[in-house]
Amino acid sequence: MSTNIKPAGEGARPTQQHPTQQHPTQEHPTQQTRELRLAEIRREAESSGKVVGKGVRPGGAPFPQASPETGYYGIPLLKEPSWTWEIPLYFFVGGAAGAAAVVGSVASYTGADRKLVRDARWIAAAGSVISPALLVSDLGKPARFLNMLRVFKPQSAMSVGVWTLVGFSGGAAAAAFAQVLTDRYGPSFPVRVMEQAGQAASLLFGLPFSNYTGVLIGATAVPAWNENAADLPIHFGMSGLSAAVGLLELMGNHKSRALGALGLGAALFECWEGLKIETRQAPALEPLKHGTSGTLTRAGGLLSGPLPVALRIAGLLSGSHSLRKAAAVSSVAGSLLTRIAWVYAGHVSARDWRVPLGIGKGV
Amino acid sequence: MAITAFLTDSTLCIGCKACEVACKEWNAVGEDGLDWSGFSYDNTGAVGAETWRHVKFVEQTAEPGFGGNSPEMNSWSFSSDVCKHCENAGCLEACPTGSIVRTEFGGVFVQPDICNGCGYCVVSCPFGVIERNEQDGRAFKCTFCYDRQKVGLKPACAKACPTESIKFGEIEELRRDAESRLAQLKDRGMEDVEFYDASDSSVGGTHAMFIVRGDPRQYNLPPNPVVPTAYLKKAWRGSAIGALMLLGGAVAAFLADGDRR
Amino acid sequence: MAENHPVGFQWVIEARERGAKVIHVDPRFTRTSAMADIWVPLRAGSDIIFLGALVNYVLANNKDFREYVVNYTNASTLLRDDFKDTEDLDGLFSGWDAEKKKYDPETWLYRGAPAKGGNHEGHEGSRSKSDAPGHAAAGGGHGKDRGGEAQDTSKFESDPSLKDPRCVFQILKRHFSRYTPEMVERYCGVPQTVFAKVAETFTSASGPEKTAAICYAVGWTQHSKGVQIIRTAAILQLLLGNIGRPGGGILALRGHASIQGSTDVPTLYDILPGYLPMPFFDADVQTLKKYIKKHGAKTGLWSNFDAYIISLLKAYYGDAATEENDYGFGWLPRVTGDHSHFGYWLEMDDGKMEGLFVMGQNPAVGASNGKLERKALSKLKWLVVRDMVETETASFWLDSPEVKRGELDPRTVATEVFLFPAAGTAEKEGTFTNTQRLLQFREKAIDPPGDARSETWFMYHLGRRIKEKAKGDTRPRNAGMNALTWEYPLVGKNEDPDAEAVLKEINGYSISKNPEPRRKSFDSAQGRPRNTKENQPQRSLGNTEDATERRLLTHIQDLKNDGSTACGAWIYCGVFPEEGRNRALERKPKDLLGHGWGFAWPNDCRIIYNRASARPDGKPWSERKKLVWWDADKKQWTGLDNADFKKDLAPDKPDELPNGKGVAALGGVRPFTLHPDGVGWLFVSSGLKDGPLPTHYEALESLIHNPLYKQQDNPAAQKKQRSDNQYAKSPDDPRFPYVLTTYRLTEQHTAGGMTRTLSHLAELQPELFTEVSPELADEIGLQHGDWATISTARAEVEARVLVTRRMRPMTIDGKQVHQVGLPYHWGYKGMAKGDVVNDLLVISEEPNVRIMETKALVCNVRPGRRSHHRRDGREEMAAKSIHHEGH
Repeated sequence: MSTNIKPAGEGARPTQQHPTQQHPTQEHPTQQTRELRLAEIRREAESSGKVVGKGVRPGGAPFPQASPETGYYGIPLLKEPSWTWEIPLYFFVGGAAGAAAVVGSVASYTGADRKLVRDARWIAAAGSVISPALLVSDLGKPARFLNMLRVFKPQSAMSVGVWTLVGFSGGAAAAAFAQVLTDRYGPSFPVRVMEQAGQAASLLFGLPFSNYTGVLIGATAVPAWNENAADLPIHFGMSGLSAAVGLLELMGNHKSRALGALGLGAALFECWEGLKIETRQAPALEPLKHGTSGTLTRAGGLLSGPLPVALRIAGLLSGSHSLRKAAAVSSVAGSLLTRIAWVYAGHVSARDWRVPLGIGKGV
Repeated sequence: MAITAFLTDSTLCIGCKACEVACKEWNAVGEDGLDWSGFSYDNTGAVGAETWRHVKFVEQTAEPGFGGNSPEMNSWSFSSDVCKHCENAGCLEACPTGSIVRTEFGGVFVQPDICNGCGYCVVSCPFGVIERNEQDGRAFKCTFCYDRQKVGLKPACAKACPTESIKFGEIEELRRDAESRLAQLKDRGMEDVEFYDASDSSVGGTHAMFIVRGDPRQYNLPPNPVVPTAYLKKAWRGSAIGALMLLGGAVAAFLADGDRR
Repeated sequence: MAENHPVGFQWVIEARERGAKVIHVDPRFTRTSAMADIWVPLRAGSDIIFLGALVNYVLANNKDFREYVVNYTNASTLLRDDFKDTEDLDGLFSGWDAEKKKYDPETWLYRGAPAKGGNHEGHEGSRSKSDAPGHAAAGGGHGKDRGGEAQDTSKFESDPSLKDPRCVFQILKRHFSRYTPEMVERYCGVPQTVFAKVAETFTSASGPEKTAAICYAVGWTQHSKGVQIIRTAAILQLLLGNIGRPGGGILALRGHASIQGSTDVPTLYDILPGYLPMPFFDADVQTLKKYIKKHGAKTGLWSNFDAYIISLLKAYYGDAATEENDYGFGWLPRVTGDHSHFGYWLEMDDGKMEGLFVMGQNPAVGASNGKLERKALSKLKWLVVRDMVETETASFWLDSPEVKRGELDPRTVATEVFLFPAAGTAEKEGTFTNTQRLLQFREKAIDPPGDARSETWFMYHLGRRIKEKAKGDTRPRNAGMNALTWEYPLVGKNEDPDAEAVLKEINGYSISKNPEPRRKSFDSAQGRPRNTKENQPQRSLGNTEDATERRLLTHIQDLKNDGSTACGAWIYCGVFPEEGRNRALERKPKDLLGHGWGFAWPNDCRIIYNRASARPDGKPWSERKKLVWWDADKKQWTGLDNADFKKDLAPDKPDELPNGKGVAALGGVRPFTLHPDGVGWLFVSSGLKDGPLPTHYEALESLIHNPLYKQQDNPAAQKKQRSDNQYAKSPDDPRFPYVLTTYRLTEQHTAGGMTRTLSHLAELQPELFTEVSPELADEIGLQHGDWATISTARAEVEARVLVTRRMRPMTIDGKQVHQVGLPYHWGYKGMAKGDVVNDLLVISEEPNVRIMETKALVCNVRPGRRSHHRRDGREEMAAKSIHHEGH
């Protein structure tokens, strides 16, 4: 009888001690390289939307992995923002309107040029109408916008922001309405009260309104955003100021030295912000540096920072209004592009499973 | 009311997806797309607006002589994922309408009649659970079968699970169960089992706890989930600084500017 | 099992958690493997080598449970000297008729057992060899387990020492001696270390304290030698003493709900309810007496064969069945040929059938050689499909691939298709019988929507209308139809026949010897239900004038052969023991075996043959494994289960073989009371068409030569080869270099009619895919997620590529063998569509039960999609094969 069977024991084990601890492709080194290459290509595809590198050889069969190196088949851990195009626009409009209200109010209190004050009020007022419209339009159930006002939740940046928006819109609208009444019917006490109250409110609410959207996206689970939670509000505030200044300048206030100084200051800050992002090393910041979102961020940064700085300095030196106007256009465009870039980077960041899973940190 | 939880034990999960289907049946959740993924046997991918329970298929390598239950090899694990019902829930904190509430059972519940679909919860969930339904516009996720719990029934997924891989019960009891189960499995030589409930993170623990084999990251379970409210202080400080810079800058600029009326 | 029986698998998990070892043998690493302790990948179709090696391991290492084997199996029975084994005849047993391609089983008989004649009972030697009972050419093998077919197995000689070289034990030993671990490694692809691990683990669960169970599904049955694979498992379990004991047994995991029920009260062509053979259209069964003589036995439970068939005829024909007219035996239809699925389908393809009812199946997707199946449908005059959705079968004339390829034209298909909406499970009442013979009654939750109706409704009202037409027509052909009892109370707004009344008829009842006025027949002209559940507080059997005329039977022993009892299925007797007590509906389990929940046939025995759970002297083998035992004080069998044994038959009662009669003749030791010799059969002397012992044959399509014998494949299998049912050259067709195996997934159900139509299920496995190893993908350039085209000699299908390490190449006889996996659920209707995998399969028939081979075939795979051109499929495929050969 040929049944000389050895008892099952150690001999029956595979040679690896703990196969689970090892990379699953241990026994096929070429496959491992292929799979890593595939992961690389997938990342490339995610960030840039296309693969330019050499394709994966058909056959050889690299296939998706669930492993400590690749997460769960590279399926995003986080959900991408569900926001539509209105939201980056809202960030831009809100930032500009808030900053404009602050600039207008301060200008008013310091007795600056009435036109500047009036233009700033118009920007703020326009923002106070457009902002909620954009916000409502983005809602999954727009008819339920008022549900936002059921509660006030300090721990919800969205709730705080909505109430800020309500306060700001009321103030800015009141100030603008008072302006209209004064212009048409002349000054009167109640109108003046409304104007002052509106102005005060728009200043008070304009300050947070100009930058709360930085808090809004900073305090989220999206790594590219929360990595910058401390800076985003300042960044957004300054971006809003740039836009407000630029708009005011383009509305004919291009001779205001105060605006010029504010514009230059904001642009300089944006230079610094850009530099900070470029020099800091963190996996969460990758979407701000690479791929389409990186290009957008850099373009937005360029238009917000170095370019207007250069144009403004050149304008100051040469006294050229057109250079200053060009700087204004650049700032406004830069501000808009910056918000688009940040939201886009948030999408890319949410798709990257590596950061929340703590994979590849410090690489 | 007892504070309840799920304990999902992937060493008992047979990957039948009954939980996924039972959840959809009970809660009338719709189709999640008829797309073949190629990710092992997982074609729904992740929990989201249209999939509230979701079975993950973590596929490794297989060797003759070793079943998936052998301590030496973890060849193919299944783990049923669900909303974690965090102790500090990012979605709940973020919700500006108060639609998302904590129930008497400790779960996190989206009141569908209040949600306005702002989508802020979506970016506030460190586990990528809650999602806006593009057709409906509102955000959806596991309800913890609040309606069933209310009348003393187990959640549909736990009820349907044939192997009791999904355990449902009082949270502290389940924690103890998890502890003894872990000890039992390690006793059998299964050294790679891990318990996951994120209790040492800012999330402060979850009402959906997991026993998995191998690194939880391969199940897309983040090692250190952060509830986004943790960033609030930093961010609002930034906001205050930004506001001061704006105000100060404007005041300085206009005061310095002699050009007045 | 985890894949296809997830609910039942909970008990496996529970056992595992209590320390049981789970071994899973499968070419692929499946969800079951993922839950098992040991996974054994083996080459598809090599099962008998593997199981035979386990048998050899047991015998060679004296691992058998000797006391059990000696007393409870036919190990000691002596065989005739002229019996020749496959070891002697290079793969054939004695009795092979090469011309007729069938066995004459005479040399397989026990030594000393007289051969039973067919026509000429009692006249030995004059019987016609070709129609040996159980071996009729057209016959199926279901219900051929009585053993009294070819001989009287109550007559035998034996050697309890098991030393005689002609005893079954020694012959078995020799038969499997070449099934070695080396052979397993070389031809199953299972490393010897792994085989050793399995052998050690499995055989250690044997003896007084331990048992092991074997669960199988169609992975074993759907082979050209499927019955013999299961036979090998039975031999192994008998040798280890694992039958009739708690934790033991062989569980057939069924393909759908109540497949057990559909063999008990069959949808099969070759048996009547309770495994009574269907009479054949040949001379020896023209009279009831001859039929009983042929199929009955003198000893054991089949000694009451006459009571079973006469009670069935009384249930069918009521008062019209009398002793004078053979109880209407002549009215039973006769089998005239191979009426199995493939048998009649090929006839359909040849234009020999007019019409077809398709209920609860979807052969356009679910049956082998789908192209042939669908084309055959176009040759019918009419086709009735009853289903919950419009299946591929119902729309073959419009949506099938044949229409797309231009082979069928909807304008010229003359088949008239009638689609009837069917009720779902929750919308009708009736019973399920599951694999351990447990009947569970299911109540109706809601009425079916619209025109949807239950099967009972459909069959009852169809029968009623046919009877209506036959009424008054006195031609002999209508006599059976006119005599048929067809009266049931109708309930509900749809006038469904009362399923409990049907169950009562199946249970059986006694009839008063003095005929009372004949039961009123259903007044169809009235068109209204005579009784409803609501207005009939005490439900009686049918519309009887006097309910006391009939009394429900409580036990199989109550059945009589004198026409005083009627019973629709003798094995189910006792399920409805008294008015108002439907045991299938009982839901209060009293113990671990579940008594009180449903009803297990026979006689609510939860473990069949459980006399074997006690030692020959009647005491339990061990405290741990006790089940039933002899209570010497009460003088009866008692225990945790109802004894599957004559209750008062003491263990010390000697048998009266071969001269005794009935069950008592078996004495107090022999547990397998369905067998005339009362023991488990290691060797099956009659009833099997392909040999008394399992032998390894390669699949009908295989890559390799049979390593054991010159005989390549099962000689008795019917290949049904024809121009539209072609085979690859076997072994080793260069056109088809890979092994193909097909299977099901948890997420979908069979042909998909009930799952691909529901988003919740369709989305879980939305597309046809093929599972291949990384090595195979590498070899032929398949890319994960891309398309592959899989072709066989019949057809080609395209599928998405799932490259997975759960598939492994094997080294078989020195060459690398790749296996290709294909789940088969998709079709051209529903939400999730895909090519019909069964188009790849060949129509073939295992000789005993005529099942097709789906688990081991050969195929080719190439990257990319199949041709979507409208051309003749066969030509197109042949061109492709040549093209590929040129590579």
